Amino acid sequence: MIFSTLEHILTHISFSVVSIVITIHFLNLFLLVDEVVGLYDSSEKGMIVTFFCITGLLVTRWVYSGHFPLSDLYESLIFLSWGFSLIHMVSYFKLKIKKRKNNLSAITAPSAIFTQGFATSGLLTKMHQSAILAPALQSQWLMMHVSMMVLGYAALLCGSLLSVALLVITFRKAIKIIGKNNNLLNQSFSFGEIQYMNERSNVLLNTYFLSSKNYYRYQLTQQLDRWSYRIISLGFIFLTIGILSGAVWANEAWGSYWNWDPKETWAFITWTVFAIYLHTRTNKNFEGVNSALVASMGFLIIWICYFGVNLLGIGLHSYGSFTLTSN
Amino acid sequence: METLLNPSKTPFLFVPKTHFFKPSLLHPSFNPRPHTPFTRRPLSVAIICKLKTSQGRKNDGKNNNISKKILLSDSAPELSNEEGKAKAESGGGAWRVIRKLPRKVLSVLSNLPLAIGEMFTIAALMALGTAIDQGEAPEYYFQKYPEDNPVLGFFTWRWVLTLGFDHMFSSPIFLGTLILLGTSLMACTYTTQIPLVKVARRWSFLQSADSIRKQEFSDTLPRASVKDLGVILMGAGYEVFLKGPSLYAFKGLAGRFAPIGVHLAMLLIMGGATLSATGSFRGSVTVPQGLNFVMGDVLGPTGFLSTPTDAFNTEVHVNRFYMDYYDSGEVSQFHTDLSLFDMNGKELMRKTLSVNDPLRYGGITIYQTDWSFSALQILKDDEGPFNLAMAPLTVNGDKKLFGTFLPVGDTDSPNVKGISMLARDLQSIVLYDKQGKFAGVRRPNSKLPIEIDGTKIIIVDAIGSSGLDLKTDPGVPTVYAGFGALMLTTCISFLSHSQIWALQDGTTVFVGGKTNRAKAEFPDEMNYLLDQVPEIVESPISKQPGSIGA
Repeated sequence: MIFSTLEHILTHISFSVVSIVITIHFLNLFLLVDEVVGLYDSSEKGMIVTFFCITGLLVTRWVYSGHFPLSDLYESLIFLSWGFSLIHMVSYFKLKIKKRKNNLSAITAPSAIFTQGFATSGLLTKMHQSAILAPALQSQWLMMHVSMMVLGYAALLCGSLLSVALLVITFRKAIKIIGKNNNLLNQSFSFGEIQYMNERSNVLLNTYFLSSKNYYRYQLTQQLDRWSYRIISLGFIFLTIGILSGAVWANEAWGSYWNWDPKETWAFITWTVFAIYLHTRTNKNFEGVNSALVASMGFLIIWICYFGVNLLGIGLHSYGSFTLTSN
Repeated sequence: METLLNPSKTPFLFVPKTHFFKPSLLHPSFNPRPHTPFTRRPLSVAIICKLKTSQGRKNDGKNNNISKKILLSDSAPELSNEEGKAKAESGGGAWRVIRKLPRKVLSVLSNLPLAIGEMFTIAALMALGTAIDQGEAPEYYFQKYPEDNPVLGFFTWRWVLTLGFDHMFSSPIFLGTLILLGTSLMACTYTTQIPLVKVARRWSFLQSADSIRKQEFSDTLPRASVKDLGVILMGAGYEVFLKGPSLYAFKGLAGRFAPIGVHLAMLLIMGGATLSATGSFRGSVTVPQGLNFVMGDVLGPTGFLSTPTDAFNTEVHVNRFYMDYYDSGEVSQFHTDLSLFDMNGKELMRKTLSVNDPLRYGGITIYQTDWSFSALQILKDDEGPFNLAMAPLTVNGDKKLFGTFLPVGDTDSPNVKGISMLARDLQSIVLYDKQGKFAGVRRPNSKLPIEIDGTKIIIVDAIGSSGLDLKTDPGVPTVYAGFGALMLTTCISFLSHSQIWALQDGTTVFVGGKTNRAKAEFPDEMNYLLDQVPEIVESPISKQPGSIGA
């Protein structure tokens, strides 16, 4: 009884903190409030609180139900948002050591927020109860396979979003022409660039504003490109380990390591697309925009693999299925 | 400058072959030009080395060195021309083309855009394979992709059946693309990756400040010594090589070798999977509790390399099948107690299987995959026990339902009435009377009688049957080895190979470096290291007499 109330409390705390943080981020972006730095710090603290809340939530579920908290879609969504907040924490502390502003927080924080919000919202209420484990899932492999897969998805999603951001910034002029009325988008990106330029060089800003704007945009895209490559490489390693441990588990449980099950096949397709991404980066000519295009495709494919296949509800991975009608 | 005159420090150390020829090259006549860019030298040295070996050590005269260099470089093409002329008329042209063919095929196969295209094709075919239902009868496809109303305007059942999309993952198109990808992997490893390794392993020293400044990351330390830099780099985990004023350091060389390992691991997995597909045996059987079967009767081959073994003659006896339940009534686990006997009736092995815990014997593995309800044992009016066979009933969803029927009264009339019994699992049986009204629930082994329409029924036992899958697969060790290698090499290829060059020019040290993966963090790491290099306050010239004297 204690555990279920604790779980309830933690869920509500994390959801509220997450909503506050997102409000702060939007205020930062659109209203250009003067106390930017103070609010930025509090949003970072909010993300730290969220991280500990989600960790607590997962540990509580683990103790309460007796099995590792990754047996159905709701739990894997919580784990995914934990993965995002973990990546956010790591990049925050790594960049803090070097005294540089964390540009990646614009990607990792909202991802954690939206995933957590979706999971704890009213859409999936009937799955909040910790369910009992089907016989096929009662294995030690459950921990390794599913956790590696979900962490891999989190890292690859972050990396692909960074690539999408790179594409948007590179083609912002084209977008500007297309969407002249979309002042909000332009404002947000120019604000981001101004912040970036403040970081880099205060002296040059006033005198070389217009010509250095392109240079700083180039610097920003370079940094996005490199971070995206590193994070996607890390996510690729996790995805490889996840797929292979899943294959070994399938061999132990059902007698064959690859059954061309829809979920397995789509995981393999995701792996192939990111392998294409890593190979395009070996060639200097394809670096930059081309590889970012591949990574953006990867973003869509991960969502099909993670969510789309579960909607079908068939095959060996039917534990993750759910119906869209909320009860 | 001193290094060029000092024989023990000839700049030929980097090319591994040359240290065999060191004595012959310390010839006073050898006069390299002082400021040539480094890249040109190795070629000239190599040619001279080869000259020496081919001539034996006979001609050590001064003039012969230079003259031979000129002679042979002119004569070499002539020789091949003569050779070519001699053979050209007699169909030698075709022979040369055939000899060149493997090289040309290799260069075509190891083309990167081709490999990327192949990977895209495989991904698209797999996606198509999940969209189209696999393994159905042709009539299903006639119905789903009709010709008079094609999907997407052109996709009819003709496309599906002729291209083999109904069995996509074993169709010729898919397997052909996989084989092509495999050959591309092999070609790429041979032509591109292995030479890269050779290049990466060389210690290459940059001798001019310009080439150092052209690196991705470069910096200048005004008053420093290259030796201090070397010590600091060693402390940071780099392997440092110092030669006079120039320095070369690298870290993370494993990150260059690992991609080769990845390709080899993939080839291993593909080979193992091919072996599995062509050489394994599979079968599945549902055995009621108490019965037995022979393994060889159940297993069927999957490909042309499948050969049965002696273990196929083993008899398997199901001693007991039982299930565990949660408190809520859901099934938690199924167990089967099996005994293996050989043809003489001797018991070889006894084990209780459950879902994630298979039985392994003689290369054959038995998995618990399913269960069924075989029969219900009842006592009717204290007569019996009668075994009523239970039949599976179709229900929506994945829950199972079994039912049986006990006729009551006149069994010969066409409208036989009786007692129906339904069960979802082996735990409890639900009984219905002649009109179909609910009569009661009984658990087997409770010995509690139930009275329905004047008949007394006691449920004695629920006999389940175990669904077992048998398999023997020779490719599994290879595939597991490939899996392990792939996991390991993928992790290692995350390491970034960083190279740093430095040159001491007077009191200034020029530093340049590059890395292949961690490009975002490299400048910060370099700045951190360079900050630690101590600044020399006294001039090095005034220091020298002191050090020589001491």
